[in-house]
Amino acid sequence: MLNNVQSGTMKEDKSPVLEVSHLHVARSNSLVIEDANFTIQQGDYVGLVGPNGGGKTSLLLALLNLLPRTKGTIRLFGQDIESFSRWEKVAYVPQDAISFDPHFPLSVRELVALGRVNRGNIGRALKGGDWDAVDESLDFMGLSDVANRRIGQLSGGQKQRVFVAKALVRKPEIIFLDEPVVGVDARTQEKFYKKLSDLNVAKGITILLVTHDLTAVFCRMSKVMCINRWANLAEITEGLEPEKVLRKAYGEHFHFVFHKHECERVFEDE
Amino acid sequence: MNEFNDIFRLLGFQFFQNALLGGTIVALACAWVGLFLILRKEAMIGDGIAHTAFGGIALGLLLGINPILTALLVSILAVLGISYMRRRGLAQSDSAIAVMMTIGFSTGLIIISLAGGFNVELFSFLFGSILTIDQTDLIIVSILGVSTILILGVFYKELLSITFDEEDARLMGIPVRLLSLAFNLLVAITIVLSIKVIGVILVVALLVLPGLAALQLNLSFKGTTLVAIGFGVLSMITGILLSAIYDVATSGVIVFTAAGFFLFTAIYRRLE
Repeated sequence: MLNNVQSGTMKEDKSPVLEVSHLHVARSNSLVIEDANFTIQQGDYVGLVGPNGGGKTSLLLALLNLLPRTKGTIRLFGQDIESFSRWEKVAYVPQDAISFDPHFPLSVRELVALGRVNRGNIGRALKGGDWDAVDESLDFMGLSDVANRRIGQLSGGQKQRVFVAKALVRKPEIIFLDEPVVGVDARTQEKFYKKLSDLNVAKGITILLVTHDLTAVFCRMSKVMCINRWANLAEITEGLEPEKVLRKAYGEHFHFVFHKHECERVFEDE
Repeated sequence: MNEFNDIFRLLGFQFFQNALLGGTIVALACAWVGLFLILRKEAMIGDGIAHTAFGGIALGLLLGINPILTALLVSILAVLGISYMRRRGLAQSDSAIAVMMTIGFSTGLIIISLAGGFNVELFSFLFGSILTIDQTDLIIVSILGVSTILILGVFYKELLSITFDEEDARLMGIPVRLLSLAFNLLVAITIVLSIKVIGVILVVALLVLPGLAALQLNLSFKGTTLVAIGFGVLSMITGILLSAIYDVATSGVIVFTAAGFFLFTAIYRRLE
């Protein structure tokens, strides 16, 4: 039934990138994630779905060690997150990334270059290699033409791509994106998901993406994680019935009608 | 032509050279620090620390110590106090600034009343007295100002990263809290070294106006920084020269010139 074409996820001998065991996360003394257990493999393209307030963003922040957990362990690239130091392998595009001050005086190139600033080069100017990586990232995301434009002058879709370019410029092995296409028109959303698929396939980058776009999840991605305090991870295969998976997060009254032509429409630009 | 002759004659005097050199260093540091303050939406911390420094000036005058040094000490304590209150959740940023500002200013008032007033000297710290900068003041201003400019130059990209997206900077291992504290200490230093030049009351203008004027031009960050510094230094030099020619309060003319740049760029933006 499902038309999963993500070849980036078809690699053999995949190694675990993210291992989560008995994770509990609380916010304002209220448990938002309870006993989450899952493993994300290298090259996975995972859609995190679930109702509002279900804990998607909290889970993402906990996985990045930006939100303290009450119980459980998280291992990133085989290392406990508490002692994890290779954060340059990780990139994060937050939910409100594009809601920055539109008058902030930054060119697109300067913003993407901020992705190269890390603990390894504190107090040192960016070098030629850093700027080469910036230009390469801009080129990959199709932003070379607007490199010198102010970030506030870009369209919503361009802003989204700039933040992915900023994430890519550090050459990460895993990217976390939190609702990256909110407020963007459907056509631009499709292009954006296509670009992420290219990344996943061409560069083998593991992607975790929070979204409400179920079509994109079941057409584009290799795994779906339903989150509503509990987290359930399922591989998107031919035999998977989306309704069964999604009911775990959205409840029994949820009805999911899957239109195969939606996937075809998504792929028409390929 | 007489005016130009006056300026050339004044340039030969040590006090005028001190004023131009000290003023340029102060204007450069203020414009650069101020641009970050504007972008961090913390411009009022400048006003708060300047008023807190008033307590330190009064203390220095009372004890017979260089008031710039006591003002620096009190300002640094104020920055640490504001950071502590914010970190511990005792007060939000603006409330913490208000608390430190009023404590510092009222301390100054109590010291003045106990000492029976300091008259002219205190007045010069309130409204600035750039033409009375002596060699000691110039050495202090140069050391503190150049240090501030160098530190800003070294940690420029990290400060920009924190200012634009603090969470991402933290994720990338940048010591956000340490650098934020260091930046606030630079703000305190910059304000204190500006007091003799422009005075406690008007120092915030030197911090905010050049950056605000540069922001109207829709430039890149590098461009905005350079233009802000240019406006700051030009305001300072123009202000000193005009006040010398027309014999009016220097700090007032400096602020008026900076405000003129802001007005000009704001009109340019509207017309663009």
